[in-house]
Amino acid sequence: MNSGSSQPRLRAFTSTLAVALTLVLAAAAGCDSRKEPELPSVQEKMRETHIYGQSKLRIGVATNEPLMGELRNGKPVGFDVEIARYIATSLGYAGDQRVEFVPVATEERIPALQGGTVDLVVSSFSITEERKKVVSFAGPYFVTTQEVMVPTRLRGKISTIEDLRNPDYKICTSGGSTSEAELGSHQVKAFVVKTVGDCVAGIRTGRYDAVSSDETILAGFLARHPKEFELVDMPFGTSELLGVGVPIGDPALRDLVAFFLQKSYQQGRDEQVSPWQTAYNRTLGPWLKADKRQPQPLEVPKLVDFDDKAPAK
Amino acid sequence: MSAAPTATGGDGPVPPPRSSVPADSPTIDGTATAPVVDRPAAVAGVAWPAGVPVAEPAEPVVVEVEPGRVRWDPAERRARASQSFWTAVVGVPAIFSVLRLGVEAGGELQTTLLLVANVGPVNLLAGFLTTAARLLSTGMVAVFALGAVLAVSADRLPPGTRRRPLFARWADITPAWVVLASFLLALITWPLLYLPLLLPAFVAAFQLRPERLHERVVPRLLLIGVLLAGYGWLMLPTLREAMRQGDEWLVLALLVVPPLLALFIAGPLPGLVIRPLASVTEVAVLATLAWAAVPVISTPVLPLTVTTVGPESGPTEDVRGHVVTTDDVNMVILQEQGGVRYVPVDLVRAQVLCPSEEELPRHQLRIHDFHVEDSLLEGMGRRVRPVHRIDAACRTPA
Repeated sequence: MNSGSSQPRLRAFTSTLAVALTLVLAAAAGCDSRKEPELPSVQEKMRETHIYGQSKLRIGVATNEPLMGELRNGKPVGFDVEIARYIATSLGYAGDQRVEFVPVATEERIPALQGGTVDLVVSSFSITEERKKVVSFAGPYFVTTQEVMVPTRLRGKISTIEDLRNPDYKICTSGGSTSEAELGSHQVKAFVVKTVGDCVAGIRTGRYDAVSSDETILAGFLARHPKEFELVDMPFGTSELLGVGVPIGDPALRDLVAFFLQKSYQQGRDEQVSPWQTAYNRTLGPWLKADKRQPQPLEVPKLVDFDDKAPAK
Repeated sequence: MSAAPTATGGDGPVPPPRSSVPADSPTIDGTATAPVVDRPAAVAGVAWPAGVPVAEPAEPVVVEVEPGRVRWDPAERRARASQSFWTAVVGVPAIFSVLRLGVEAGGELQTTLLLVANVGPVNLLAGFLTTAARLLSTGMVAVFALGAVLAVSADRLPPGTRRRPLFARWADITPAWVVLASFLLALITWPLLYLPLLLPAFVAAFQLRPERLHERVVPRLLLIGVLLAGYGWLMLPTLREAMRQGDEWLVLALLVVPPLLALFIAGPLPGLVIRPLASVTEVAVLATLAWAAVPVISTPVLPLTVTTVGPESGPTEDVRGHVVTTDDVNMVILQEQGGVRYVPVDLVRAQVLCPSEEELPRHQLRIHDFHVEDSLLEGMGRRVRPVHRIDAACRTPA
């Protein structure tokens, strides 16, 4: 009898509780639906950058590095230029009218960013701790190693580091580059000239016997003189990570560039054609010995974008 | 309606139109053609056998009506409710749509008139329904669910002391198909994240107690267990991801708790709770609807575009706004920041459709690759057109 009367009471109590909880949850859901996203959005980051509202995006590129950044009929072309175009388009600067490619030499890259003559540098800029103190990097967008290129007359004669140390061979490299330091650490005496192009010209005139530099730069010259040179499969030193240089005072722009590189990386990983892969296949791909994939960018911020709801598969 | 052939219909001779007025009914000028018999109106016109007494009420059949207060019989009441319902269905969107135009125009009279002249009523209504369907279904689901629970509980009130709660009366007079339709509308328009809440609401609205599953306890518990397990299996990957993200407690609660609440929600509630619950929820639902109606009114009527304007060879400019109309001479753009631009058609270089910032997601969770903030409709749509490219021009400032 007692349990008979307590059961409806219990039921009434649980019903009340259930109704109340449902109402609370519904209210919470209502508040949640009107909340701003917790993560910053791409648009918000855009508003924080120094380029917001600028009519043109100025990107520093090399004009003397075949396959990476060179002038062809007055227009910059190359892997770096393609990557720069992808980033510019992602940032809202589509088309040649909205992008200004500023030629920067290797040693001008940091001053150009510091002096504000360019907004970004995409020019075989390797990420180092030393440089990170003065500029920010987004990336890496490419991993490269030091390699050696020899004229076909020396094919098979220079194939190890030991051969490079041989005083009979004159090794050439460009000044201020990572190669110079790497060669020094391997006790290889090298002739230091201004650009890799000078080394290549020197080898063609017989002044030098080999040139050491980034494999990308060497591949560029190989593409220009495919019958005269050969890459030696002798990676030495640590691999280098190429990144996009951004002024150190603009973390928002760095985050955005990293975010868009990551987007391309994910597209490539999902077996789709990514902007990176397209750029690679059109430029470096045919000339490098080993096939490469886009490296995963580091320190990518989590940002909210309009296409986040698109199906992943 | 009429089976009689129309003048344009058949080939044969058209029969003379049938008189709509019976021969013995009063004529227009008020004189009666039939002899007036003193008997109740209900039997007028019927040949009354001679010698049979006519039963007449002691008093004339006039319903005592309090001045200012009308008592409706249920059928009449139902008819009236249906009339109000359809008036609301047609009227509310119409009023909202016009209000939206005013807001869209930035409060400017001339701009509002420009919009009124160029936005067709059908487009306006369709645009309104796409944005307001969610709000509409939420309101109806809330009213019907609460109404049903209150209705079943209201029997516990002392009989005849007070009126039944408003929502209970609404739920009583609403046909089941309207309730079902509002739940279906909610099912396809609510974000997936909030869909579990529809479960207790449905159970409440249709009073589906667990006893309905099976009359014996053990099979009933088994059935409930199986249903909950199925739900858990569906949600498990999302719940894991929400746990991993750490700060998604609300999502966890919204996905886990409602199915459990559905087991107990069907009422009845104790008499003590009914009154306060009825009044509080009436105010709350009204306030919520008003609060949620603001974004619906301010949602744009026209799609957001960026139009690149400039001469063939020369500098271009991006105009961000809503295209009102295009004719042979001009493209009329209502700019996002306000004001109307008449852009000569020859100067239009390109135009892209852009998303608005209100569409940005708040959660990074998916239920089997459906984003939790997408409705079933949106999720299916994304499967039909999976690639969504944001045009570069959309990133440029307004």
